[in-house]
Amino acid sequence: MKNICLRPILLAATTLLPLAIWAQAATTSVVPANQDFWANTFGNLTLIVAGVVVIGALIAITRLFSSVVKMQEIQMLREKGIEEVVEAYRQPEQSWWDRLMKSMTNAVPVTQEADIDLGHDYDGIRELDNKMPPWWLGLFYGTIIFSVIYLFAFHMSDIGPSSKEEYDTEMETAKAEVNAYVATQAEAIDETNVTAVTDEQELALGKSIYEASCVSCHGKLGEGGIGPNMTDEYWLHGGGIADVFKTIKNGVPEKGMISWADQLRASDMQRVASYILTLQGTNPPNGKAPQGDKYDASKAGGTAAPATDSASPAPADSTAAAAPAVGK
Amino acid sequence: MTQVEQFHYDNKIVKKFAYATMLWGIVGMLVGLIIALQLVFPSLNFDTPFLTFSRLRPLHTNAVIFAFVGNGIFMGVYYSLQRLMKARMFSDLLSNLHFWGWQLIIVSAALTLPFGFTTSGEYAELVWPIDIAITLVWVIFGINMFGTILKRREEHLYVAVWFYIATWITVAVLHIVRNLELPTSGLHSYGIFAGVQEALVQWWYGHNAVAFFLTTPYLGLMYYFMPKAANRPVYSYRLSIVHFWALIFIYIWAGPHHLLYTSLPDWAQSLGMVFSLMLIAPSWGGMINGLLTLRGAWDRVRQDPILKFMVVAVTAYGMSTFEGPMMSIKSFNAVTHYTDWTIAHVHVGALGWNGMLTFGVLYWLIPRIFNTKLHSTNLANVHFWLATLGIIFYAIPLYWGGVTQFLMWRDFTPDGFLVYPNFLETVTQIIPMYALRVLGGTIYLTGVILGVYNLLKTTGSAKCVDNEYAEAPALAQHHVETGVKKHWHSWIERRPMQMLVGSLVLVLIGGMVELFPMWWIDDNVPKIASVKPYTPLELQGRDLYVREGCVGCHSQMIRPFRFETERYGEYSKSGEYVYDRPFLWGSKRTGPDLAREGTGKNKKSDSWHYHHMNDPTSTSPGSIMPAYPWMAEDDLDVSTTAAKISALRKLGTPYDAGYEEIANEDLAKQASAIAKRLKEEGVDQPGVEKKEIVAMIAYLQRLGVDITLEAQAEK
Repeated sequence: MKNICLRPILLAATTLLPLAIWAQAATTSVVPANQDFWANTFGNLTLIVAGVVVIGALIAITRLFSSVVKMQEIQMLREKGIEEVVEAYRQPEQSWWDRLMKSMTNAVPVTQEADIDLGHDYDGIRELDNKMPPWWLGLFYGTIIFSVIYLFAFHMSDIGPSSKEEYDTEMETAKAEVNAYVATQAEAIDETNVTAVTDEQELALGKSIYEASCVSCHGKLGEGGIGPNMTDEYWLHGGGIADVFKTIKNGVPEKGMISWADQLRASDMQRVASYILTLQGTNPPNGKAPQGDKYDASKAGGTAAPATDSASPAPADSTAAAAPAVGK
Repeated sequence: MTQVEQFHYDNKIVKKFAYATMLWGIVGMLVGLIIALQLVFPSLNFDTPFLTFSRLRPLHTNAVIFAFVGNGIFMGVYYSLQRLMKARMFSDLLSNLHFWGWQLIIVSAALTLPFGFTTSGEYAELVWPIDIAITLVWVIFGINMFGTILKRREEHLYVAVWFYIATWITVAVLHIVRNLELPTSGLHSYGIFAGVQEALVQWWYGHNAVAFFLTTPYLGLMYYFMPKAANRPVYSYRLSIVHFWALIFIYIWAGPHHLLYTSLPDWAQSLGMVFSLMLIAPSWGGMINGLLTLRGAWDRVRQDPILKFMVVAVTAYGMSTFEGPMMSIKSFNAVTHYTDWTIAHVHVGALGWNGMLTFGVLYWLIPRIFNTKLHSTNLANVHFWLATLGIIFYAIPLYWGGVTQFLMWRDFTPDGFLVYPNFLETVTQIIPMYALRVLGGTIYLTGVILGVYNLLKTTGSAKCVDNEYAEAPALAQHHVETGVKKHWHSWIERRPMQMLVGSLVLVLIGGMVELFPMWWIDDNVPKIASVKPYTPLELQGRDLYVREGCVGCHSQMIRPFRFETERYGEYSKSGEYVYDRPFLWGSKRTGPDLAREGTGKNKKSDSWHYHHMNDPTSTSPGSIMPAYPWMAEDDLDVSTTAAKISALRKLGTPYDAGYEEIANEDLAKQASAIAKRLKEEGVDQPGVEKKEIVAMIAYLQRLGVDITLEAQAEK
């Protein structure tokens, strides 16, 4: 059963395949990826069919082989008589475990190891010539075959997606899921319709968001730090609920205030903006000097949302505002 | 009729390497314990530059790999090679030059890394003069080894020696190619490769430092010391042959599995993945041959601590070499990469395979060269159990923490937001796991200290047999076919030079197929027009980032996953890194990725960075990042700017000719602009424009900006 050619061929194949692959990668970068569902299914089917054929062939060969052995036994029976054959097969009863171990390791028992001692003596170290365990060889060939198939599937055919295609698919799926979810929710909040919440639970949620995200620049009590003081009446970008909401949502990147639209959902921005407005006049210690203009609610048209007749968002926009995080 | 010759084995050199192994083992693991503690108690950084986590981490890895395991290799090789060749080492002078040279390299590493002299490539951090010293000492080792092989009295080379030969030649190739660099001063240099190309060279090197420094020489040691300790024949000679050649051939390809889903081209990633998978069987060949060698000796494994150490070592080897290929599968790598899973994985290898085998060998060899008995077998048993427990307590919390953190990173709400948008939350969550890891490390180190105590007690009561008498017949001038050696492979076993060349050719194939296209086919790194070289101030800031070792905790490589692009912004492109010398992609995120730190949703104000570097908890309560207050106190050294600019131009960065003359003017201009902004934002530090912090801020604010400009230009 020596298949001396097999190993070098497989090794050569795995060695040469990479060359083909990067050549492939270098030349086919302009070809658009084949997104056709049926084409992929066809590729998959072909692989499955090929696998079935290979396995079927292996079974057939095994069958053939065992029938040859059977025929030889019959031959032996005819020529030498029943006693010889029974003698040849008389072996101590072995448990299934022993038989499995034996067939998987194919090891010569310790008691008979003198037969396979190679006679080497390296500073007293001897070497046996046990066969390589069949399961180990199977593992080795298996990984080699897998590798060939993998490289073919991902680099010489359209079966496997590239990293970029994988990403695009992931983003499309996520976008669809998010949009489906958002569609089931109440109308989205934005700066045109936001109102200050007063419910204590809601404000407590706002406070926890403030503590997680805002204290690093605006201080634990809103006294200011890197960012401005939020407890006084002076505001750089307006002190109404809509103004504060808008500042949180869009940020003021040139001054270091980041946009939170990707990190906080609209309702959370509403909560935290509402909480911030409750800090007015608390006068915490170490308050930062006032910045900006004194905010006058009546001049600015009240803390409620400004008139919305012209600024009513289209539904598509509100979806985008609620889920800006996907599909850019 | 050949004459029996008399000679002496040199045990003195073995003893020296053995003592060095013990010393550096304790030092290296102690540093590891300190940095593990710093992750739990950041105040242990003491706001002192040379005690800071990010500077000590490379010291830990270098000490354990090159000092502890390195000396362990040399100890085992010098002991076994002499006996396998039936000859004294080629030259006592070279042996001693090798020993003292290597120790000098270790000491100089300990004197440079904590002080910020580093090139930042993982396991290749040492500065260029030390790189040259390593090359010299390695050549000395090679001459000494081959000198011994050539004057041998044993015709055939045993499998252990094949592994030694392959180790020597491959490490030489890896070390030289990885460290091709252009010095700008006595202790600073820029590598000749940049960006994605350097990344590939780095992990071709880095992975094979694991393969050919931590694995192949230790397999050689296993093949000598395990059959000796068990007094059993090696299980299968033909398995040795197949797994040796397959291992060295396949291992060299596996490097890109450290770069899966990065901007390394897909073809290279796939090669890294499939060759890693094909490595399972050749690696396990070593484990099988080791464990099955113990057939008929398992009763003694129960009693003999030496065999116990060896069995657990080989088992740990088997586990790591199964886990490694699994981690190389792209979809699983998406989970483990950048997390503490990787840290757990390498420690099963280092503590289990290298640590346990080293002490197995030490317990076997020390009593022999001192011609005495081990001081206490019980103590060795205690050491064994402490080591085993230590590994378990070390690894399991980190596997757990790694998965936890990954799950938190990728968690989305139904309406499309990250559940944990603040990276810090995902860090504080796993600090208890870091604390448990400290416990595991402490248990393991306690075992090591007991072991060293036991061994020193053994040597203290005896005298080393410095020159051990031996005799062997001289080698026949011509090979005589005895009929015993008829395997085809015995041809090359008689020819060490052919063995050397054969190994070299095999390891070069994988390296060339992967590296050459990356170097020479431009398509592999698509250019991005808006990506420009760093300004002088940013360049200096970048070198500070390298000096402080920020790359140990912060990656600069956003993978194409939704949970990464939502957190950090557009995924990274290879064209963004063409001027990055060194590349700073990183391999672990103890802190967030910084590839887009200067742009988009992650951009922070200059003053935020100022405060954050001075005291990270002031802007991020609960942060475990060390503080870097000295950056606001120390003046930026601008005397190096000119040399750096001209070196980079020589390497291909398009700075105008003569720019180095005026670079510092631009630097000062940019620095005062940042100082002005800092002042506007309330940072009132006189003279801040001269300080290092300004360069650091300039660099951080530049990160990711170029590709945003490209997007704007397209609009």
